[in-house]
Amino acid sequence: MSAQKDCEFLVKRARELVSDDPCAAKAWLITARTLYPADFNIQYEMYIIERNAERTASAGRLLYDMFINFPEQPTVWREISVITAALRSDSQDKHAQFLRGLFETLPGRVQCEMLLKATEQCFNTLEKAEMLLLLLKRFPESVVQHGVNLGETLLEAEVSENVETPVNCFRKLFVCDVLPLVINNMDMRLPASLMQKYMLKAAEFYICYVTRGPSPDMQIQGKAALFQCSQEGGSLKSPNVSRSSQRYVIDGLSEKSSVVVEPWERLLDILAVVGARCEWQGDKGQRSYVDMLLRVKELCRYLPGLEGDTRSRCCSQVVICAALVLFRSAFLYVSAVQPALFQGVNALSAGPWILVEDLSSVYNDVEVERGAVKHAHKKRKLADGREKTMSSDDEEGLGKGRGRHILVNKTEMPSWSETLESFRTARESWDLLHSHDGLEAEFKKICASWKTDSWLWFRIFLTDMIIYQGQYRKALSSLHQMAAVLQPQPGQQSPSGQASLEHHRALIQQASCHYALGEYRMACEKLLDVVSGLVPPNHEPTKTPEDLGRVKTKTRKGNDLRLLPCTSKAMLPFCLQLMLACFKLRAFTDNRDDLSLGHVVVLLQYDWPHGEMLFLKAVDKICQQGSFQYENFFNYVTNIDMLEEFAYLRTPEGGRIQLELLPNQGMLIKNPSPALGVELNTLLLQGVQAMDRHHTVTRGITKGVKEDFRLAMERQVSRCGENLLSVLHRFCINEKIIIIQSLP
Amino acid sequence: MGDIRQSLLPRDVLSAAKELLYHLDIYICNLVQSGRQPPQVDSKTLELVEEFILHAPKDRNTPGRRMSALQELQLLEIMCSCFQEQSRDTVRQLMFSALFSLQGNQADESRMALLGKLVSMAIAVGRIPILECAATWLQRTHRVYCIRLAQVLVDDYCSMVPGSVPTLQNIHSASPRFCCQFITAVTTLYDLNSEELTPPLELLQMIVSWIQDDPRLVLITFLNTPLSGSQPISSLDLTPLGGLVRWCVKAPLAYRRDSKQALTNGTTQNEPETGPLFSALHLSVLQVFMLLPNILNEKGLFGRLALLQMESLAALTSDLSRLLDQADKHTHASSADTHALSQLTLDRLAQALQVAMANGALLCSREDLRAICSRLPHNNLLQLVLSGPVMYYNNIHTPPLAFSPHAAHSPIASHPTHPTHPAHTPHTPLATHPSSHPQYPAQPFMTGMPFPFRPSH
Repeated sequence: MSAQKDCEFLVKRARELVSDDPCAAKAWLITARTLYPADFNIQYEMYIIERNAERTASAGRLLYDMFINFPEQPTVWREISVITAALRSDSQDKHAQFLRGLFETLPGRVQCEMLLKATEQCFNTLEKAEMLLLLLKRFPESVVQHGVNLGETLLEAEVSENVETPVNCFRKLFVCDVLPLVINNMDMRLPASLMQKYMLKAAEFYICYVTRGPSPDMQIQGKAALFQCSQEGGSLKSPNVSRSSQRYVIDGLSEKSSVVVEPWERLLDILAVVGARCEWQGDKGQRSYVDMLLRVKELCRYLPGLEGDTRSRCCSQVVICAALVLFRSAFLYVSAVQPALFQGVNALSAGPWILVEDLSSVYNDVEVERGAVKHAHKKRKLADGREKTMSSDDEEGLGKGRGRHILVNKTEMPSWSETLESFRTARESWDLLHSHDGLEAEFKKICASWKTDSWLWFRIFLTDMIIYQGQYRKALSSLHQMAAVLQPQPGQQSPSGQASLEHHRALIQQASCHYALGEYRMACEKLLDVVSGLVPPNHEPTKTPEDLGRVKTKTRKGNDLRLLPCTSKAMLPFCLQLMLACFKLRAFTDNRDDLSLGHVVVLLQYDWPHGEMLFLKAVDKICQQGSFQYENFFNYVTNIDMLEEFAYLRTPEGGRIQLELLPNQGMLIKNPSPALGVELNTLLLQGVQAMDRHHTVTRGITKGVKEDFRLAMERQVSRCGENLLSVLHRFCINEKIIIIQSLP
Repeated sequence: MGDIRQSLLPRDVLSAAKELLYHLDIYICNLVQSGRQPPQVDSKTLELVEEFILHAPKDRNTPGRRMSALQELQLLEIMCSCFQEQSRDTVRQLMFSALFSLQGNQADESRMALLGKLVSMAIAVGRIPILECAATWLQRTHRVYCIRLAQVLVDDYCSMVPGSVPTLQNIHSASPRFCCQFITAVTTLYDLNSEELTPPLELLQMIVSWIQDDPRLVLITFLNTPLSGSQPISSLDLTPLGGLVRWCVKAPLAYRRDSKQALTNGTTQNEPETGPLFSALHLSVLQVFMLLPNILNEKGLFGRLALLQMESLAALTSDLSRLLDQADKHTHASSADTHALSQLTLDRLAQALQVAMANGALLCSREDLRAICSRLPHNNLLQLVLSGPVMYYNNIHTPPLAFSPHAAHSPIASHPTHPTHPAHTPHTPLATHPSSHPQYPAQPFMTGMPFPFRPSH
């Protein structure tokens, strides 16, 4: 066709000229357009020249013309999709910026139409949503028409695309971009139920975003760092592990748009708007989470008097607000106690912490405590008795649920007061949510829909909470489940990594619970499992001011809790104290139990002379008994004060107490098989003692005992400089079976 | 005023001139205040101006008084500040025309001389009120004198003092009206028919940069002038568009001639290429045409006012055919080059015609164009333009491709009618034609009509 040929000729001439003389090329195209205004190629060529030269205004003008005159041209749509892609992207390259500028030159009406049409042509849900979002952001009036639909599309996409987590691209767009537009648009009236549904979707997203685990590469780094931490028992500022450079990308989004700034604050913003629009009671602007809890607490008091809609509205308000405070406070608490669980929480500043029974009163005189513990025993028995009638095992929690102190080393955890405050706020929110059947039911619905059961971090909080409440049996079953999850798998990394640290943490907490329940054997079993995995510190710990000040806390009732750092340095002493606590009662009963008494003596060496009183009490008991048999004495007692005391006991002045402290003595008496004696000797007494072996065996049963004792004492005095923690660690490992068996 | 003359006579030339300016100011203020319409300066006063400011001889016997160069400079300074200080536009305009309106007498020569110096000085020291008055003067005065003023300014700023071009460049922002009129005058002055009538490069660069920065500049006079239909006789065109089209179309041929001469003279040509400048200028002109439909529609003039005149286009095409003939005859050696330049000329002509016609700047049919272009050599684009587009688009949205002159409105002549005998012209007079175009009868162009000279693509 002739006209077609004319147009081709004109465009061809322009193309020939464009590189050498762009002005002439444009003159040709201007002429061509006046000749054939309806020809698309001419205008497209004009546009291309301006676009390639990145002249924003003229390219924009031509794009506008094409959009108006050739709305059906696929080429125009290709161009528009390139531009809208640039709008959606956060790329800073020059061309993308030019394309965004180009779009800005278009009149608003055209932008609006362009985005709408581009959206229609999009088949990918995410792209489509991003496109529509551009529209909604620019043209608030379009929110009324498209806002809710877009939101629902995103929520449906979440379901149909089978995403694994609420922290996904669809939800992120919904919560961070669409929802604020929808709820802040005063031209829209949304039913309260929908608002609340959206509110919960937002809350779930923000909570899961904040509590997301570290990315895999960070986990490895973190593990290595934690390993070092637990090895050296202190905080470590390794320059090669910088947590500030963490990267986190939500699948389908760019790195930049995966970032959610101040999630808790955003959540509070949404809550404020939703609250205002649902006509919630109280202050319109929710100022802070703490204020919010106070307000709903207040509100709760009126709850029983309310009826109908008012009541259900009030219920929703209380549950949503209290739940958000609960999850936020619980997160703050767990992020201090278990920082490695979370991405973006500085895990290297401190390792994990364990909430355990406080044992600082373990060195107290047994008489002071006996009453209380006995009482606890009685109560426990009472509780056990009631177990059949009540579904909960230790419902009243040994009466310890209220007002317990949690001790923490303030220098090791600088944020201790915030941490404990968060823990308290979380518990209060929990209590509030369970103060009323209606509230509890609604809260459970939220938990079920969010699958909070699968939130490890929240389970950690719950476990600590029920420990605090004294519901140790419940806590134990929770800990068992967690331990099962955290058990290092055979194929996994060395046991010194994160998983084993978690494992230790759970075991120590179990031990602490068993102890609190009076199940000493179980307690020791658990903690000896831990000790076998610990490496004793090279140096004996220097005493911190807190340690020295511990005497002052002596008067505490013994039902306090303590946050213990999950490091070898802190765990080993705790294990020793816990064992001491387990044996202390047995050792000082009226029945004779030399083995327990011996263990007590060994364990009292730690933190000497804190346990001096108890030691003297033990000596008294030995004196009363007139004899004392503890074959491990020379293996594990290196304390010079104790050695002196025992040496004295044998003297006439000391009362000529018959001491059987050498390993082979009892054995030889009970079982005169030399072979076994040799074996035991070799096993238990190395070095010097091995040379005495023949001597001992050939000398007969009683004759050489005195001499052996003297030699052993002399040798023992020379061991006084040995690292006590190594000795006690060896004690735990070597005597594990005996220790456990000696407890009921 | 008679008393004034008596009091002026004994004074020295400068103080007499100064005194007269002072009196003139008061006189015109009173005139304006009296509210007489139209305010007219009486002939006595005009005579005093000629005697004491222009120093024209009163009669043949008494030779006019003369001012020294220094006195003249002082007078110019006084005049500058006089206009600068007068805050009322009307008074300024009346004073300017009392001083510089041509009276058709002997004093006009000194009038022109003084005007040239005053405007030149106003440009140098940035006296905007004087430039504004001069812009009006350039609209009301016969084009021959306008050209003379332009020539003075070009000489002063582009030829005499090297490096003073930037000063002239500033008039664009100081007084766009003056700038626009200056461009019109300059494009009328330099018709590219001979070497002398080719604009200096600096001037060309300046004009191109002005128009590139702000294409609407060339329409300033048109936009600011209420069209009463009574354009002063033989004044400049309302816009420089016609002159600029002529420049761009002729440039490839004119500058080829220049460079040829430069080569034969053996002078090294270190001047920058003018090609890109004209290419850019041509594009700017087309872009200005594109602005027109909106402006013309706003003024209710679309189809009624032709900013490009058929007469001047006819003159252009006849110039072109002569130049192209010459080019063909004189250059056998570099015929390929010649051919390319000729084609460029014809391409630009075709583009200007088409775009001007499509945007209502040129009111004629394609038949009319075929008539004035009949002697031009073959060019594909020109053929396409002359034959018009093939109407295959049945699209009702397609706007009219060209203005049909048989519109309901009668055309308004934007172009002043030329007097039958122009005053002495320093160069070839422009073709003179009656205002109506009997030789181009209004003839509807049949779209899609076959045309024997369709371009062979």
